[in-house]
Amino acid sequence: MYGKKVKLRILFLVILLSSIVLTIFLVLKSLEENVIYFLSPTDVKNLNEIKYDKIRVGGMVKNNSVKINSQKITFIITDFKNEINVTYSGLVPNLFQEDKGVVAEGFLKDKNYFKAEKILAKHDENYMPPEIKEKLGEK
Amino acid sequence: MILNYIGSYSLLFSLLISAIIFLISIFSIQNKKESIRNLNKLFFFQFFLVLISFLSLIILFVISEFSNTTVFNNSHTNKPLLYKISGTWGNHEGSLILWLMILTFFVFIYFLKSNTRPIRERLFTIVFQEIIIIGFSIFLLKTSNPFNQVIPTPDQGLGLNPILQDPILAIHPPVLYLGYVSTSLIFSSALASLICLNVNREWASFIKNWIFVSWIFLTLGILLGSIWAYYELGWGGFWFWDPVENISLMPWLCLTALLHCTLVLEKRSSLGSWTIILSIVSFTLSVCGTFLVRSGILNSVHTFANDPDRGVYILIFLFFLIFSSLIIYFLYQDKIISNKDHFNFLSKESSILINNWFVMYFLSVVLIGTIYPIFLEVLSNEKISVGPPFFNKLIIPFLIPFLIFMAIGPNLKWIKAKKFKIPIRLSILLFINLVIAFLVLKIFDEVTLKLTLLLTASFYLFFITFKDLIKKEYKNISQTISHFGFSLLILSIILNSFLSKEIITNLKVGDEINFQENIIKFKKIESSFSSNYQSLIGYFEINNKHLFTPEVRIYDQPEVITSEADIKTNLFKDRFLVINLVKDNDYLNVRYQEKPLMIWIWLSTILITIGGSLSFIKKYEK
Amino acid sequence: MKNKYLLTIFIIFFTFCFIILFKGLKNPNTYQPEFNQNRVLSDFTSTEFFSDEKIKLSTIVTDEKYYLINIWASWCIPCRKEHKFLIKLQKQEKIKLIGINYKDKFKNAKNFLNDFENPYQIIFKDKNGIVSIELGAYGVPETFLINKNLQIIKKIIGPINPKTYNEIIEIIK
Repeated sequence: MYGKKVKLRILFLVILLSSIVLTIFLVLKSLEENVIYFLSPTDVKNLNEIKYDKIRVGGMVKNNSVKINSQKITFIITDFKNEINVTYSGLVPNLFQEDKGVVAEGFLKDKNYFKAEKILAKHDENYMPPEIKEKLGEK
Repeated sequence: MILNYIGSYSLLFSLLISAIIFLISIFSIQNKKESIRNLNKLFFFQFFLVLISFLSLIILFVISEFSNTTVFNNSHTNKPLLYKISGTWGNHEGSLILWLMILTFFVFIYFLKSNTRPIRERLFTIVFQEIIIIGFSIFLLKTSNPFNQVIPTPDQGLGLNPILQDPILAIHPPVLYLGYVSTSLIFSSALASLICLNVNREWASFIKNWIFVSWIFLTLGILLGSIWAYYELGWGGFWFWDPVENISLMPWLCLTALLHCTLVLEKRSSLGSWTIILSIVSFTLSVCGTFLVRSGILNSVHTFANDPDRGVYILIFLFFLIFSSLIIYFLYQDKIISNKDHFNFLSKESSILINNWFVMYFLSVVLIGTIYPIFLEVLSNEKISVGPPFFNKLIIPFLIPFLIFMAIGPNLKWIKAKKFKIPIRLSILLFINLVIAFLVLKIFDEVTLKLTLLLTASFYLFFITFKDLIKKEYKNISQTISHFGFSLLILSIILNSFLSKEIITNLKVGDEINFQENIIKFKKIESSFSSNYQSLIGYFEINNKHLFTPEVRIYDQPEVITSEADIKTNLFKDRFLVINLVKDNDYLNVRYQEKPLMIWIWLSTILITIGGSLSFIKKYEK
Repeated sequence: MKNKYLLTIFIIFFTFCFIILFKGLKNPNTYQPEFNQNRVLSDFTSTEFFSDEKIKLSTIVTDEKYYLINIWASWCIPCRKEHKFLIKLQKQEKIKLIGINYKDKFKNAKNFLNDFENPYQIIFKDKNGIVSIELGAYGVPETFLINKNLQIIKKIIGPINPKTYNEIIEIIK
């Protein structure tokens, strides 16, 4: 028979190994579930099927496409080849402007319609939308 | 401008001195002529020269000398003085000088403070440290010299990104860097002690001070960054699992584990190789953070022209460090003298070891979540991002046993608990906490198994550390305060996360909206002018008594819009209101949040660092 | 000898990481315009710099000469460095220079031209950067050598240097 110490040691090793395997499994599984893919409007057009996973769509906010009312904001994301309509109700970042880069996170309803849950805009120091500048100038 | 030359030549000379120190140390190691006395002047000069070049860059910023590229790119004459100065380290080149300055400063301090260590070990530490200094100096001079000139001199600069024009962000990078850079000394000293076969109690109690220094600064740095993100970015949260945040969290986790490990090494002379590994990993993660931030590899959307040369250089340097420390570790690893006694399950050291493994697990989750998108992109060309659910899902469940071990551990004895018996008082307390947690959740109607257990565990830690705090005549005050602070932090985060309320809507002047028990009224909008920005101020009234005046600022140079949230803080909750412009339109995008216990998140983190700092005071009293 | 295996495994693992990260640096994972050589440049209409008239690119590109489309901005430092090459190119016979002023302030850009001399036959404004993105530009400065059919013959990312300058001279000879 093995001694007590050896037994303990084997027990320890088994626990260690199984916990490592378990954690790797856990990590991989939740990576799979929580990963958000990034697509351009053209990528969306080329999708074979609409998946109901959360995705990000990136491109430029089309000029004159932003509409806002008390419930929601709608706009169009374009990559100059294809476009996609976006509706959104939530906080809009400062950097969200027409003719500017934007990334919207949410769900595809169909190939032309995207419901955003979150909007991220990228920083671009050398540009400011003229409308806002004019608005300030008037006041 | 003469300062340009002074700056860049003093950098060159400091590189030269670093090379001299490096050669002298190598020479003395080889010839066993292990005298070290005359090095202190060289260390001083090395630091002094970098200091001069740093100061000349600051002066260039203050006098707005646009013949300097760095100043031209990041400053503007109409910027307030504070931000001219902080603009020095708000950019890539300047921040690297700051990094180098701290590096040379620390090696100087190390030299003065390490008298008690064997000379051979000191020499090896110096060799490794000088390799790091030389690496960064060359990087600075070759790829990002801050003293390049623009010819002819432009009459105006491009300005500092207004998001960075903020008092907290002015001191955030230096504090964080103090934390990052001091890990380099831990790294060098660990390798040196490994080579000199000095991984023992004395080394542990020596290196402990450095670990505390870097841990305290890193904690403060993360805290400052988080406070800034809370009120400046207008998202109303304090942690977003953003890659840039994760990068500072990883060395912190590693240092926390290391801190506890050195305690075991000091008291029990075991876990030696584990301590060495953690020391190496801490610094590697710091450099890795620099790489990920500076190379622009993390940016995934709409980044124009980044300098890939910089990334390549740091990457090569990073892997040079990894490979060389790996080889050194494996060469000397068998020679670490370790106490071969097995740990008793119910001892302080085994609970530290168990929690160490938990911290390592948290660290790997954060690491994988941060770099997985980069790997996937290269391997399969798919662009992805990993969101907060990933981290929450993998970390929160494991916090429960972690917190319980953290509560029990400090009350166990070193080496061996007397007899295996379940401490009745502790179990009763655990049960009482379970009931409390359940009742608290019941009141707010949020009962889930996970949340109940988590709250139980954090209440448990809270009460036990609280009991220690009042009972234990300051036996280990530093540890008790830090653990108490940590339990407070976890408690506030949990309560904050499930009690937060928010409404996001679009309003125009005169609109009113009901939000639970609050009535939010948009009264008027005004615009005003300041030296370097114009602002639109919204006037909101909540329940006819609290007036909120959030702002949207439009900066001139460069033209950027920022939102300044209006936050009303008291001990129980923060009220947070932020507005955004959407378009030339009557509607404003409005977000109102009530965040309970927000202030306690900051206070408890400060408490944690106070706990850490107390370990020094105690030592000097002895 | 267990350690040797472990060391090898680690080294292989980190080498793998290094290769991945290195590759990741090389193909920056940005949302980027496509890079196409031998492609026909998409025609665009934009406002002229001084007159604010709307002008279509194809209405200017008519002769048998080569055209050099240069994207620049007054705030861009490398643009200052390549300026001397543009001045030299302007003196060549078979080539005309077209500037695209990228995300710039009119006043700054005008001062820039006054200070350094204006090498361009015509300058388009690209206030918000869309023209440049549609052209497939990575950033500023960037230069396209095209013929009268709007075919891209050469594309230079970053400032023109002596080497690329000579290549342009070779092509237009």
